[in-house]
Amino acid sequence: MVTDMKDVQDFKLKPMKCEFNFLSKSDGSAILSQGDTVSLVSVNGPLDIKMTSQRIDKSTLEVLFSNKNGKPSVENRYKENIVKQTCEAAILGSLYPRTGINVTIQELEDYGGFLACTLNCTCLALLNSGVSMRNVFAAVSCAVDNQGNVILDPTHAQLQTSTATMTFVFDSRDKSLITCFTDGCFSQDAYREALERSRSASDLVFAFYRDIIRKYCNVIG
Amino acid sequence: MSEVYKLIHPVKHFNDYISIKTRLDGRNFDEHRNIKLNVNSIKTADASAVVKCGNTTVVCGIKLELAVPKAEEPDLGFLITNVELPALCSSKYRPGPPSDYAQVINNIVSEIIKNSKCIDLKDLCIVPDKLAWVVYCDMVCIDHDGSLVDACIIALIASFKTLLLPSVNYDTETEEIKVETNERINLKIHGLPVATSFAVYEHFQSQIILLTDPTNYEEEMCGGNGSNLIISYNKGLLCGIQKLGGGSLSTENNEEAIRLAEQHTIAVEKVINACLEGKGTNK
Repeated sequence: MVTDMKDVQDFKLKPMKCEFNFLSKSDGSAILSQGDTVSLVSVNGPLDIKMTSQRIDKSTLEVLFSNKNGKPSVENRYKENIVKQTCEAAILGSLYPRTGINVTIQELEDYGGFLACTLNCTCLALLNSGVSMRNVFAAVSCAVDNQGNVILDPTHAQLQTSTATMTFVFDSRDKSLITCFTDGCFSQDAYREALERSRSASDLVFAFYRDIIRKYCNVIG
Repeated sequence: MSEVYKLIHPVKHFNDYISIKTRLDGRNFDEHRNIKLNVNSIKTADASAVVKCGNTTVVCGIKLELAVPKAEEPDLGFLITNVELPALCSSKYRPGPPSDYAQVINNIVSEIIKNSKCIDLKDLCIVPDKLAWVVYCDMVCIDHDGSLVDACIIALIASFKTLLLPSVNYDTETEEIKVETNERINLKIHGLPVATSFAVYEHFQSQIILLTDPTNYEEEMCGGNGSNLIISYNKGLLCGIQKLGGGSLSTENNEEAIRLAEQHTIAVEKVINACLEGKGTNK
């Protein structure tokens, strides 16, 4: 299934649009839209935090997720945890011991693949804030429809008929899997195909990062 | 001497063990801990189970209540899971409202149960739009020594398997509810979902090692409590793969994890079935 994929697939993702420094008062911020899904992330740090949450060996990452209606829920804690764990693997926290890095996420529009969009937006906001990072990361979402076909970066309409959705996050160095979470039931083959296709598609996201950085920072681009 | 070494150079101590292809408790990388399971140990609950995976101990109790279904979903009952991590289970937790970690574990457990479709919520409905069962599943961790999700799922599924729903007579005219506690029917369970946890350890940068069923100490050495790779199976289908941060995985590691999870699932299914059969013959 993996071998004959190349001729079938022209890896296409929904159009991405991004703006840096969307918020004037934060150390780094980015707004990213992937198709109709829009997410806004602000990063502040490294800054002072209360003694009890300080860590002597690395910085403490605090993630706050607010959805559209603003009510806190268990689901938000889970989403915060996904972003936190993913960023912790990417940020060089040991350079900023006893400090905190705050990541605040605001949901603007959710038309499918919201967490993938948020993770990409967080990565861009971190790049904008100038926090030292080990590598950048790219998130790609996939869906499995009721015939068992894998759809890359599904639209809102495709998600309504899908039986499972998966989101993968890859690092930029050797494209290994950092984070993965799924929803629904699926077969091993569907998982493998989705993983490999997302891995290839992550190239597009990394290319997009490069374009954006080139536009905003002509020194390092 | 070894204890001192472990305290002063924890990373090197751990690395040395991994280098000689063994773990701190003498297991191989792909070996899981012994599972001890007992069902119906709490007589006051409608169904219950206690599970011990190594030192990790989880008690699960199920309580039934009647309620009116939601107006949007008039033919569905309710299934509410709750994972509690009291201060007693580990020094990391403080008494008080549920910690973020407890909420995350709770979310993972309820998602696995929901995605595996092992319980059809329609079975919990008695009279559409009027009456349905609310199944409260409370899981309390007594001792937290890693792989908490695995233990929670085993305890929950074993409790479900022993759950008997009393028959209810509902009079549509007088709206009178009559519960017959003597006449009980088994709740239908589709399949047997099992979760398998792995800790991902980056040994000298390049080599990735998967530790099956990690202890709390191993989890901490491999990027903290929340970064396990958790693979769940139900009826030969995958019903959830979670991996949040921690060491990164290549394609080969992924294949290995899926293979090991499949084997582990079969082993756990045997344990649960053996336990239930044992109880059945004793009656």
